[in-house]
Amino acid sequence: MDYFHGYSVVGLVAVVGVLFVGVAFASGRLLRPVVPTPEKMLTYECGVDPVGGDWAHTQIRYYVYSFLYVIFAVDAIFLFPWATVFAAPGYGGATLVEMFVFIGFLAVGLLYAWKKGVLEWT
Amino acid sequence: MASLVQPVDWTALTPVIVPAALAVAVLVADLFLPQGRKPLLGWVTAAGLAAAALTVIPLRDGHRTTFCQPETGGGCSYAADHFTLVVQVLVLGGAALTALLSINTREKIPAGEYWFLLLSSAAGAALLPASRDLATLIVALEVTTLPAFALVGLRRDDRLAGEAALKFFLTSVTATAVSLLGISFVYAATGTLQLTAVAEGLTHTPDQLHTLARAGVALTLVGFAFKLAVAPFQFWVPDTYAGAPLPVAAYLSVVGKAAGFSGLILVTVVAFRPYAHVWGPAIGVLAALTMTVGNVGALRQRPDVPRGAVRLLAWSSIGQAGYLLVPMAAAGSADDPAHEIGTTVAYALMYAVVNLGAFAVVALVERTAPHSRLTDYRGLYASRPAAALALAFFLLCLAGLPPGVIGLFAKVAVFSSAVGAQHGWLAVIMAVNVVIALVYYLRWTALLFTAAPEPAVAADADTGAGAGAAAVRTPAGLGLAVAVTAVAGVALSGAPQLILRYAQGALL
Repeated sequence: MDYFHGYSVVGLVAVVGVLFVGVAFASGRLLRPVVPTPEKMLTYECGVDPVGGDWAHTQIRYYVYSFLYVIFAVDAIFLFPWATVFAAPGYGGATLVEMFVFIGFLAVGLLYAWKKGVLEWT
Repeated sequence: MASLVQPVDWTALTPVIVPAALAVAVLVADLFLPQGRKPLLGWVTAAGLAAAALTVIPLRDGHRTTFCQPETGGGCSYAADHFTLVVQVLVLGGAALTALLSINTREKIPAGEYWFLLLSSAAGAALLPASRDLATLIVALEVTTLPAFALVGLRRDDRLAGEAALKFFLTSVTATAVSLLGISFVYAATGTLQLTAVAEGLTHTPDQLHTLARAGVALTLVGFAFKLAVAPFQFWVPDTYAGAPLPVAAYLSVVGKAAGFSGLILVTVVAFRPYAHVWGPAIGVLAALTMTVGNVGALRQRPDVPRGAVRLLAWSSIGQAGYLLVPMAAAGSADDPAHEIGTTVAYALMYAVVNLGAFAVVALVERTAPHSRLTDYRGLYASRPAAALALAFFLLCLAGLPPGVIGLFAKVAVFSSAVGAQHGWLAVIMAVNVVIALVYYLRWTALLFTAAPEPAVAADADTGAGAGAAAVRTPAGLGLAVAVTAVAGVALSGAPQLILRYAQGALL
């Protein structure tokens, strides 16, 4: 049971946190004057008047681009530890070839994306 | 300094590497082939899978292992023993037949991606029976199922396909998550992932870790039960099969099941051997439940619903999965589970041949009757005698009646394993289920030979006759698939010892 007593501190902190937020909001509500004007009711957008509607379109091609980028970023993470050891004694040619097999697979993916027209913006 | 690079026995790996390398080659070739030459890819895929199945011949002495860790005292992660080789032939042969079924499909499917996904999934299924540690097992299982989601949902403009893929995806991902949680518990309790070392570790877990180990074993098994569509986790099967392209449904019903049960065998018989007194009866109960749910579901299938033929085969595949589990339940109480495992493998081989055959005939009929209702099979013998006879033979094999001798003998082997393990109650439930299954298999068979109502209704409409005459031409891929499965089924019925010797031999 001693083990679970340790969690009572966590529970206490959570309760205090909820109380803090509740008290702060409630006291703010009670203390502030309410004088609305049309300017005050506008959506806050970095201090300048908001432009346009609330419905925005995003270019979906960007998703495929970022997806490809993530693949190559993950690939680079894999390359770094490999680069520190592949020339060390005991590893030899097989380690070098293995990494190029891996990069080869990625290159096939890039080739596929290119031939399918993913890399063309328009 | 000695080499730090692990030596790899590439010969032992050929049945896995051939489909994997071919998958990449097909994907690249698809990019550069002109539209007219694309059907070539299907034939290349089928031939490559058949060739991959043949590469087990040089390995047939069954002693090769690789990815071993001798310095840490661990076992090997890849073993090409007899169990592995038989299951590899099953999955690669099944995938090759699926490729043959898919060559002439009329469904709008992007060609290159289809063959790439099929080959990737087959490579995973070939790796699965060979894996001897839990990490390799899960990776292989995921390589098998991840491409299968995409294969199910590959028809873009079809809402049914999307729903089928989503159901399959959600259940499968849940299964994997549950399995991984269980495996992490087992790893925490035993400190190893090697299957044989896990078995040893489970015999002397520290006292305070007993609950953890038991929970881990249970969760791992639940995950695999999901994959094998064991009741109560079978609900996704009929919708997924009906929504998927027909060859993909055939693939899931044979190769997907083979992957599930070989993983379950490895986990139970090899890794969780010390808990055999727990999982043995549990698998027995699941087997009884699965076969009953599957057969009752098939019995309730109405003959006039669209895609009723595929739905019936889906329910029947759930029932057959129940039979596959019976020898594994018996293996829980056996001193040496080799016989029981062999019985499961033999039954799976029989089921793979005849079930793929049945799907091939359904694919053939679907070309003229796109709704694929059961009523569309009325009078098939009059219009296509060869296809009707083949389907009748496959259905009788599935039911276990002569002349489908191989189906009968495989069922007898399963019965004897249940009786031999003192699981008399399971044998009784199975007998009841076999009788239930007779009803719907024989009903379908009888439908093939009853007179077609067509001449009475549309005697004057010669357009129907013209369409029928044009469709009687059987495309090469489908014809080959029906012929191969029919010849294999007849050959096995003539010489059942070809596969039933596995029920005697030591596979693992």
